Amino acid sequence: MSIVTVQLGQCGNQIGFEVFDALLRDSQSSHGLCCKRENEAYQASCKERFFSEEENGVPIARAVLVDMEPKVINQTLSKAAQSGRWKYGQHACFCQKQGSGNNWAYGYSVHGPRHEESIMNLIRKEVEKCDSFSGFFIIMSMAGGTGSGIGAFVTQNLQDQYSNSLKMNQIIWPYGTGEVIVQNYNSILTLSHLYRSSDALLVHENDAVHKICAKLMNIKQISFSDINQVLAHQLGSVFQPTYSAESSFHYRRNPLGDLMEHLVPHPEFKMLSVRNVPHMSENSLAYSTFTWAGLLKHLRQMLISNAKMEEGIDWHVRPPSSGLPSLGKKSLNKDLHFNTSIANLVILRGKDVQSADVEGFKDPALYTSWLEPVNAFNVWKTQRAFSKYEKSAVLVSNSQFLVKPLDMIVGKAWNMFASKAYIHQYTKFGIEEEDFLDSFTSLEQVVASYCNL
Amino acid sequence: MRGRRVGAAGARAIAGVSRSLPSDHSPRSSGRAKFDRPDDSAPWQLLLPRALPIPAGKRLASIALGKAALPALCFARANPRAALPAAGSVGWLLRAEDLCPRQMLPDPSGPLGDEMTVWGQCDALASLGPPAPHMETEGPVDVRHVQWLMGKLRFRWRQLVSSQQEQCALLSKIHLYTHGCHSDQSLGHLSVTEAEMLRDPEGGQQVSGAGAAQNLDLAYPKGLHFCTPGMGPRTFWNDLWLVCEQPGLLPGDWAAPLDPGGASACSLLFPLRVLLRTLEQENRRLEAVLAWRRTELVFWQWMDTVLGTCAPEAPAAASQPTFLPWVPECGDGELELVVRELQTLEEELREAAERRRVAWEAKARGCGRGPEWSATRRASQETVEKELGALQRRWEQDSGPAQAHGPHRLVRREDGAAGDRDLRAAELIRTLRSQEACLEAMLRQLQGQCRQELARVAGALPGLIWIPPPGR
Repeated sequence: MSIVTVQLGQCGNQIGFEVFDALLRDSQSSHGLCCKRENEAYQASCKERFFSEEENGVPIARAVLVDMEPKVINQTLSKAAQSGRWKYGQHACFCQKQGSGNNWAYGYSVHGPRHEESIMNLIRKEVEKCDSFSGFFIIMSMAGGTGSGIGAFVTQNLQDQYSNSLKMNQIIWPYGTGEVIVQNYNSILTLSHLYRSSDALLVHENDAVHKICAKLMNIKQISFSDINQVLAHQLGSVFQPTYSAESSFHYRRNPLGDLMEHLVPHPEFKMLSVRNVPHMSENSLAYSTFTWAGLLKHLRQMLISNAKMEEGIDWHVRPPSSGLPSLGKKSLNKDLHFNTSIANLVILRGKDVQSADVEGFKDPALYTSWLEPVNAFNVWKTQRAFSKYEKSAVLVSNSQFLVKPLDMIVGKAWNMFASKAYIHQYTKFGIEEEDFLDSFTSLEQVVASYCNL
Repeated sequence: MRGRRVGAAGARAIAGVSRSLPSDHSPRSSGRAKFDRPDDSAPWQLLLPRALPIPAGKRLASIALGKAALPALCFARANPRAALPAAGSVGWLLRAEDLCPRQMLPDPSGPLGDEMTVWGQCDALASLGPPAPHMETEGPVDVRHVQWLMGKLRFRWRQLVSSQQEQCALLSKIHLYTHGCHSDQSLGHLSVTEAEMLRDPEGGQQVSGAGAAQNLDLAYPKGLHFCTPGMGPRTFWNDLWLVCEQPGLLPGDWAAPLDPGGASACSLLFPLRVLLRTLEQENRRLEAVLAWRRTELVFWQWMDTVLGTCAPEAPAAASQPTFLPWVPECGDGELELVVRELQTLEEELREAAERRRVAWEAKARGCGRGPEWSATRRASQETVEKELGALQRRWEQDSGPAQAHGPHRLVRREDGAAGDRDLRAAELIRTLRSQEACLEAMLRQLQGQCRQELARVAGALPGLIWIPPPGR
């Protein structure tokens, strides 16, 4: 089943390009470590999901590009066309010449309604091209004005018009020391609105990805392109085809639906984060070998100790022993920074994947008390290797990973709000103080729900 | 403080209903997919088994079950949409199922049309009724777990609706494209099964060679084999186009009688027949399950009464644990005794009932006088009569043109002509929509009752603050 991607704003469009590029490059690679027929099936499945066919055989990404400035979209379109391997649809983009001035209210209340019809038309055309349609993948940042404001508006519209289709928002969490002074306002408004209209919020933190580039990839001058490529690698390892069950031999039809059903059925717990191992530069990859046991051990500890990447994991953090009562468990968690999970999905790709032992993830101590590991944990195993990694594992987790960052952003936004700083820029365009208060309330509730696991 | 104590019955009900909705229910999409690739985009490997026995009928019953289970939980709100699409429904007929398939195969042992089952609409739904709320003694269940299960149910529901829409689009395309290809003029177009059998007769053989078609996943990897590169690149629509170009192809080939020398015809048809028979069996089993579901409530109520009458005898049995229960020889004397006992019991009961009735009547008579009383009585009588009348009218509407129940074949007609036993899809949709409105009203009423009950409970506990869950 096909997924339609909506790329919003500068961030969304740049990342979207890298994602499609990574997906296609991996599907066309010959390092899959599997037979030719398997490779063809993998390729066909990936193509059906993310690309449509053109007469001369060049796949066209199933995407709609939206930005209020023309520069980034034009760059994106030409980069795709230049690659020669794929391209965007000719009429798949919508842009203006105006920009949003990093103002969420402007994006949400002005640009959104003004261009609603054009944008929804583009999306509708893309959906109609799909033989079987699974849902939307909306890529946006939280801190700016276009991606965040228009993103929230478009997601709401999709909720109304395509209420049975799935919606996953890929959200870029801004740098803690970001440049946009009102980024915290933009962030809380975005998150509170998306929590109502989206099914799943897949979050990537700029800080975390930046560290991966610096420490794991050894990149000296880190550009946005490097960051986006790391992100695309993580997303690719989630969304590339996987087998549908242990004993089946065909690829899963609806990964988006299965993922959401496993991880985000509860309306209060929609925040997902991604961790993957291993991750390194191509040069180092040639000289490294891995075992499943080692990879999974690292991944599990990353989950438990709330580590953002494979380096610098705190091995002292342990799951609480089962003898403690629930109250004791909570205080212990707080002391040792133990990350309690609601649900986890581990996707394994590569050689000897059937021998990989994931029992460590089925420990009830990792999970909240009201969900058993048999319901909370799922694993998808696929033999076909991903992107030149002989073995790779990715964890999509609904856990307390994002509580601290969220709490921090809400706190900072609240401090600004308490002194009414920059509020007039929002009230000018129809976002009143009450809307801010509503956002604060709903996000405080999200934080409280996650803390009470 | 959030009220987290919820009966486990609710959780189980939802989990059960959620399981009854298939998770990977996947009618495949249109024929633009390439069929010689062994991947999940090729629709036809699964289409043959799926198209036959489990179409909208079963889903309707599952939907009804799901909707009946939901009122037990206050905050649920299902978003049901009827099985058939509104657009383009004008030209659809449901043809009672005993036609052309018989003419197509020498030994027709299964349906070949696009089957839809028309249920005794009111029977299936009326027998469910609202589940009686009762306290479970297993211990409290965290409400978050229940909300989790509800969420999973919602996701499955949405996927079901999407799959349903996909299937309808597919059916529409096939019926359109194969118009004029069928030997039976009154049908006019091929069904999905017929089209697939034409396109790939060997595929039918391969699929049936997998054994039982019950596990549809098993059929799939076998299907991989018949899509090997050696067969050459083909697309569904190419083949179909070829078939349509030679309109004589269909009747001549299929109507040919079997002869032992015609080895190829035999070898193609026999596995197909086996497959069809297996599918038919599965269909019958599923229908049996559904019939059971409809009568389950009655059965358990009966069991309750049986156990109730058996209970008093338990102590006597317990006092002689080593003896198996045995039927005493019934001498006449004993029988007479029993009869006499029963008669005395009956008398006592009658007297007790009479006493009660007299007492009640006296009481009622005491307060039953006066103009207000008769006015209220008249008013309530009128409301009851009105409601009864409305119900009756609705029943009559529903059972309007004599609707045959059971399997029907979906046929697309441009001219709108219909046989005696044919049903128009538009009418069926209308009926389903009115039932939907009925059920929604019932749901809202039950939700209101639940809310009132909760408010009462909350009011009774001082210091309890209600925090409603976030709106969707």
